[in-house]
Amino acid sequence: MMPLPRFALARPGSLEEAARLLSDAGAEGRVLAGGTDLLVNLKHGLAAPRLLVSIDRLPELRGVSVDDAGALVVGAAERLADIAAQVLVRARAPAIAGAAGLAAHPQARNMGTLGGNVCLDVRCRYVNRTPLWRGSLGGCLKAEGDVCHVVPGGKNCMAALSGDTVAPLVALDAKAHLVSASAERWVSIEALRGKDGRTPVALQPGELVRAVRIPAAPPNRRSAYLKWAVRHAVDFPLVAVALVVDAGADGAIESLRVVASVLGPKPRVVAGLDRFRGERITPQLASAVAEQVTRQCVPLPNVLYDPQHRRRRLGVMVRRQLDAWVG
Amino acid sequence: MSEGSDAQPISLTVNGEPVTVLATPSETLLEVLRYRLGLTGSKQGCDKGDCGACTVLVDGRPVLGCLTLATLCDGAEVRTVEGLSTAAGLHRVQAAFVRHGAAQCGFCTPGMLMSAVRFLETREQARAPTREEVAAALSGNLCRCTGYAKILDAVIDAAAELGTRSVPGSNDAEGAR
Amino acid sequence: MSGSPSVLGGRHGRIDGAEQVTGAARFADDLSLPRMLHARIVRSPHAHARLVRIDSSKALSLPGVHAVITGRDLPTPYGIIPWTTDEHVFAVERARYVGDAVAAVAAIDEATAARAVAAIEVEYEVLPALLDPEEAARRTDVQIHASKRPGNLTKQVDLAFGDVDAAFAEAPLLLENDYAFHGTTHAAIEPHCALAQVDGDGLLTVWSATQVPHYLHRALASVLGLPARRIRVIQPPVGGGFGGKSEPFDLELASALLALRTGRPVKILYTREEVFLAHRGRHPTRIHARTAFDRDGHLVAHDADLLLDGGAYASFGLVTTYYAGQLTSLPYRLPAYRYRSRRVYTNKPACGPKRGHGAVQPRFAMEVQLDRAAVHLGIDPIELRRKNFIGENTRTVNELRVGSLGLLACLDAVERASGWKERRGRLPRGRGLGVAASAYISGTNYPIYPNEMPQSAVQLCADRSGRVRVFAGTSDIGQGSSTMLATIVAAELGVELADIRVVAADTDLTPVDLGAYSSRITLMAGHAAMDAAREVASMVRRAVAKKWEASPKDVSLAGGLAIDICDPSRTMPLADAFVLAESAFGTLGAVGSYNTPKEGIHGDYRGGTIGATPAFSATAHVAEVTVDEETGDVVVEKIWCAHDCGKALSPLLVEGQIEGSCYMGFGEALMEHHETDAAGRLVAPDLLDYRIPTSLDTPFIASTIVEAPDENGPYGAKEAGEGPLHSSIPAIANAVFDAVGVRIDELPITPEKVLAALDKQREEQHRR
Repeated sequence: MMPLPRFALARPGSLEEAARLLSDAGAEGRVLAGGTDLLVNLKHGLAAPRLLVSIDRLPELRGVSVDDAGALVVGAAERLADIAAQVLVRARAPAIAGAAGLAAHPQARNMGTLGGNVCLDVRCRYVNRTPLWRGSLGGCLKAEGDVCHVVPGGKNCMAALSGDTVAPLVALDAKAHLVSASAERWVSIEALRGKDGRTPVALQPGELVRAVRIPAAPPNRRSAYLKWAVRHAVDFPLVAVALVVDAGADGAIESLRVVASVLGPKPRVVAGLDRFRGERITPQLASAVAEQVTRQCVPLPNVLYDPQHRRRRLGVMVRRQLDAWVG
Repeated sequence: MSEGSDAQPISLTVNGEPVTVLATPSETLLEVLRYRLGLTGSKQGCDKGDCGACTVLVDGRPVLGCLTLATLCDGAEVRTVEGLSTAAGLHRVQAAFVRHGAAQCGFCTPGMLMSAVRFLETREQARAPTREEVAAALSGNLCRCTGYAKILDAVIDAAAELGTRSVPGSNDAEGAR
Repeated sequence: MSGSPSVLGGRHGRIDGAEQVTGAARFADDLSLPRMLHARIVRSPHAHARLVRIDSSKALSLPGVHAVITGRDLPTPYGIIPWTTDEHVFAVERARYVGDAVAAVAAIDEATAARAVAAIEVEYEVLPALLDPEEAARRTDVQIHASKRPGNLTKQVDLAFGDVDAAFAEAPLLLENDYAFHGTTHAAIEPHCALAQVDGDGLLTVWSATQVPHYLHRALASVLGLPARRIRVIQPPVGGGFGGKSEPFDLELASALLALRTGRPVKILYTREEVFLAHRGRHPTRIHARTAFDRDGHLVAHDADLLLDGGAYASFGLVTTYYAGQLTSLPYRLPAYRYRSRRVYTNKPACGPKRGHGAVQPRFAMEVQLDRAAVHLGIDPIELRRKNFIGENTRTVNELRVGSLGLLACLDAVERASGWKERRGRLPRGRGLGVAASAYISGTNYPIYPNEMPQSAVQLCADRSGRVRVFAGTSDIGQGSSTMLATIVAAELGVELADIRVVAADTDLTPVDLGAYSSRITLMAGHAAMDAAREVASMVRRAVAKKWEASPKDVSLAGGLAIDICDPSRTMPLADAFVLAESAFGTLGAVGSYNTPKEGIHGDYRGGTIGATPAFSATAHVAEVTVDEETGDVVVEKIWCAHDCGKALSPLLVEGQIEGSCYMGFGEALMEHHETDAAGRLVAPDLLDYRIPTSLDTPFIASTIVEAPDENGPYGAKEAGEGPLHSSIPAIANAVFDAVGVRIDELPITPEKVLAALDKQREEQHRR
């Protein structure tokens, strides 16, 4: 067995208390949500927080509702399995329900939360290993060392964004409600994710995610989350992409958003898709969009699969999904 | 686990029985079950959430014992493989496993059974489950011996049995036999 | 279920089924003893390094730490093969792979032991590491093991049978191709675990998740310098082996020494990473194959050059090197055959025996060669295999005796079940069917260390309660050997399965069995059980006959009764019959033992004994695949497998072996890969990145049992545990070719390899 390091565990009953505990602990405190990622990292010696603050008894982090503006608000502590099954989520943000339902495996989905998935640490073949393994090359930027094995000479950690829900949340323009002992703020999921894997989530010390808000969908929206992994369960994505298309009543595209993940630490919002505005989805358009995605999205050798293959596959996934929406 | 200094008592209901046991904050539910309570039915296969051998039900849901902090189960209801059978005999899914030869080495079996129990108790009762549905429900439990074939057979068989008993008058359930 | 001859071949489950499903089965890590310490092993972070200094003083000063042991404490080398004892429990002079054991610490709990491991200071002088087998074979300046000859060869075998060159010179079709079989590992869900205890009288008891209690017993005696009679080895239920627990490991020897040193029970449980490091899995093998055929598709000659990447230690490698050549000579008639097989040391986790030991890699090459020949000659691939069938009661070109071999029935079965005749060639592009076949040993004919003693023995004891006890050294690792023994005893004595208790794999309580490897137990221990049971049955019959004033041959034991065949209304409960027998003969017991036939089994050339077996099983597979030409994804839609096990004593268990073998082959063919990076570290040291298929990935497996009874098998029975793996892999590769016309000769068949091959195909078509 891989024993967990020693830490103190707090189980506050209110958001206020949780925020205070986190604020007091500062950099030595960590939020514990489902634990499926954090506890493995602790077993691997990747972090040694003094205090874990469990969010499992915070009513403020629970619930799925629709606010006055018609936006879907999902509590950060809602479990992935519930989100996948939740009627409101399935109706209003099917790509989120889909992504939550594709994460890991049933047990992990019963444990893992939306907030945890959004804040999931980046993953890398050189990082998520035991100290013995990492030690043989003297570690890396993210753990115990000062070099990057993914991008030799690189100054930023380029571990991979691996949370399934992140890309669709970014594509749906979702925001996270962040709360601390002294303040609260809304920040887009895109801005929440850092570009250096050493600071994968832009949370201030003492801050935690309370909820995620997904704006109301216009009437003719189509969305999808596409994940590729070798196995149909257990695996993290090897490459993943979310697509959101809003169209007018005539079928003309009003907005097209494509967001890829498992490249580097940040989700990649594919740029320049505005030029497709006004067009209808056709096989030609599908190919053109796929080509643009492939051009901009460059997977790295941070997870265990040939980056060139992952890049090519990304294009096929995008094209096929758009093909399925032709008409 | 014998680091007593920061161990605190926690109270759980384990297989229907109230239990108070010491646990440190760093102790997992799997460690407490296996090493403090002697419930060694739940297994450790990878200790990091990849294999599912440690699957137990906490408040009805299959979770990974190896990544669940025991302290957070204070007040929870925990079900393990040891709680499935009664003096009257095996649970129907246990019996189906034996009948179908669904266990070979038997090491993944306890975790597999807990996922199967959850599936059987929450599935749509009005019709027989498909093989794909059962496979999805068990997809977080790795088995290296069986190729899953007889495991799926056993769960489908147990579902049919459950259907006939719990949904009287259901034509689908009748047909499933 | 009723005890009667029909128990043989009845669809019963395992005798320990209830124990398994209730969580009552106690595996090694489920055992706990008062005052038990936990130990952990310090491992080298370098692929090749000289040990300069080990300082354990800091670790020893930690509260709760009881002992540290290092290479100096255990200087005696060991190894499963007596001629290649190249392992030490802890590196003595140098570490030879990332993960090589250097020291061990015993402490009051695992957390303390883990901290103590981190506190042990080891100074290394890093040496150049050899990671590529070709390079290791070439280099003489870096030597992983000091040996008489320079270089890094574990073993080289050169054998030729028939006039190979002449056959090649005249053959109308010569196929010459390179194949690469990758490394794969067993990945049993139970990690290795050992618990050692020394009692007040100095008897050392070791409980271990092992497949070979007997060989462990010998290794403990030799390495610890204790007489074997002062050591007891007990094998609790084992959570899967597949060859990964079939030799002594560091944790067993280390826990034993720590128990001797501390006077307290000591347990060591591998982490999952350590399981991957201990390995002993399938050797990565490069094969250059030349195969000649006549115009009708008959094999005329085969020539293979094999290079096996052995990793840091010999393990079973000497035998593997032979198996890689010896078992390619059937199930087809091969008039001329030559092979060169070399195994080299590299600075990586040691390879060893994985399900199908040594023969799976060359089988892949041979079956794809046959498929290529079928395409060249326009012959149906199943028909080509029928034509080449070696036949029964014959000899291979390398002089292995072949008894029964139900290959044709296996081919018929998969041809029929898969709709081969109607569907093959008529499927749309992207969908394909592939076939392959194989044969495998039912036990290796000779023990690992030369001796003339029985390879399996059984003691049987029945008593006045009606209960029967079977004492056997056999290792049930999930394959069901204890159920097999009970089935045979139930059939012979007429008792119910539930009234038989099998006491297995305890060197103090049970007679010897060599272990769960080479698919030997059903044939060997089955014979021993059958003989012992027949003797007890004879005693019971005689006692009952005396009472009934009948002839013993007219007394039948069945269904829990003794029955007068001449007057079936006259019966007696078996318990009463046992009372009569016990009264007449004293204790009601018997022994049975088995040794293999030695006459006419193999040739007398050096190495000719390897591959020899009392009986061969036969297998045929058809796989159906869909290939996505844009992503390269291969989906195996279905696998049909027919396996000739001679006689299925417990069909449910035989099907389980077939299904499990197909599953394991499927995972090897498409997704599993045990490999190291440029630093010699495992690329995938966990069950997240070493991807064994889940329930959602595994295709539907349709198994068919074929029975071609063998005169050497009990009731005709042969093996079922390993044979059904071999041809599963080439069947998938051949199906991929049938689907899209590309050959992937380097395993595993990954999407990027398929796409690269398809790209090349498109380019070539474009150029034309």
